[in-house]
Amino acid sequence: MINKKLITLIALVGSILILSGCGPSYVTKGTEFPKMYEQAPRSILILPPMNESTDAEAKDYYMTTTEMPFALMGYYTFPTEMVSDIMKQEGVYDTEILYNMPLDKYYEYFGADAVLYTRIKKWDVSYMVLTSSLTISIEAKIVSTKTSEELWKYTGTVVVDLSGGNNSGGGIGGLIASAIATAVNTASADYVQYARTANKRIIYTLPFGPYHEMYMKDQSVQLIDQTPAKQ
Amino acid sequence: MKIASKTALLAVTTIGFLMSGCSSQPKPLYNYGDYSESYYHSKKELTPDSALELQKAIEYSIENAADSRSARVAPGMYANLGYIYLKAGKTDKAIESFNKEKKIYPESAHFMDRMIKKIEIAEGKK
Repeated sequence: MINKKLITLIALVGSILILSGCGPSYVTKGTEFPKMYEQAPRSILILPPMNESTDAEAKDYYMTTTEMPFALMGYYTFPTEMVSDIMKQEGVYDTEILYNMPLDKYYEYFGADAVLYTRIKKWDVSYMVLTSSLTISIEAKIVSTKTSEELWKYTGTVVVDLSGGNNSGGGIGGLIASAIATAVNTASADYVQYARTANKRIIYTLPFGPYHEMYMKDQSVQLIDQTPAKQ
Repeated sequence: MKIASKTALLAVTTIGFLMSGCSSQPKPLYNYGDYSESYYHSKKELTPDSALELQKAIEYSIENAADSRSARVAPGMYANLGYIYLKAGKTDKAIESFNKEKKIYPESAHFMDRMIKKIEIAEGKK
């Protein structure tokens, strides 16, 4: 009888330990991105995104979502559409070229303190037997144009169930309805709104910029650690 | 019975306070209006209509800038407007807008000066 209680207790304590170990670990803005506070860039040049997804249009669409969140964090953001046009006029069409350009060029031409690279890692719909889901995954990185150092980097991912939900358990009729809902939702889904959600999951980790009230006051704000295990 | 109704009143008042506290959210730093949506529409399908929609969204954002926490026109808005004027051949208005961007955001000065110089060279002024 006592043994049984003891075993239960050990199991309980053990599972608590395991559970606490499995949760995300947190870091602060100050410890994770100290260079952002040291170099304190005032302006960010948002470059056209690098598209690694299967959706060719993702690049143009995602490009429209980045200017606002970074400006609202308190940075001067150069207008993305105009910048992308001007670069084309200067003969830079390919994102590959942009991403391999020496960073001081951006300072020389635009006077930008830092550059924002975004990488669309996923913007894909995956189809399963009767369901489909959309995954949007964005990696964002700010690099100094003066020292070429990486100042900040974070990844945001959103997975959306496009099958319309609530159709389970409806027998054959339910299954058919679900299949139809999948097709309809996929065709009409407005993915850009989910890209904006992915941005929200990224932007909260960025130290505030000079036009924000919290500038240089947010070092202790916590965020989920994304760096691989340090052991 | 009396106590119960007093408790109920207290509860209702408390909930009322809590709810009013929640609804008084601070305004955003800038008033972007429909800029992001219109920008997306113009990328999705560039037509004279979607281009005009974007220009109107930019103008709205500028005109209603006071309705924001900073009371300032958002970064890049005057530059965007200037660029629309430039593409339409209205170079005087373009330069005027670029100068406004520069005045509000000194961070843009280098880029705006470059744009203004480009226009002046193209027009053979200097």
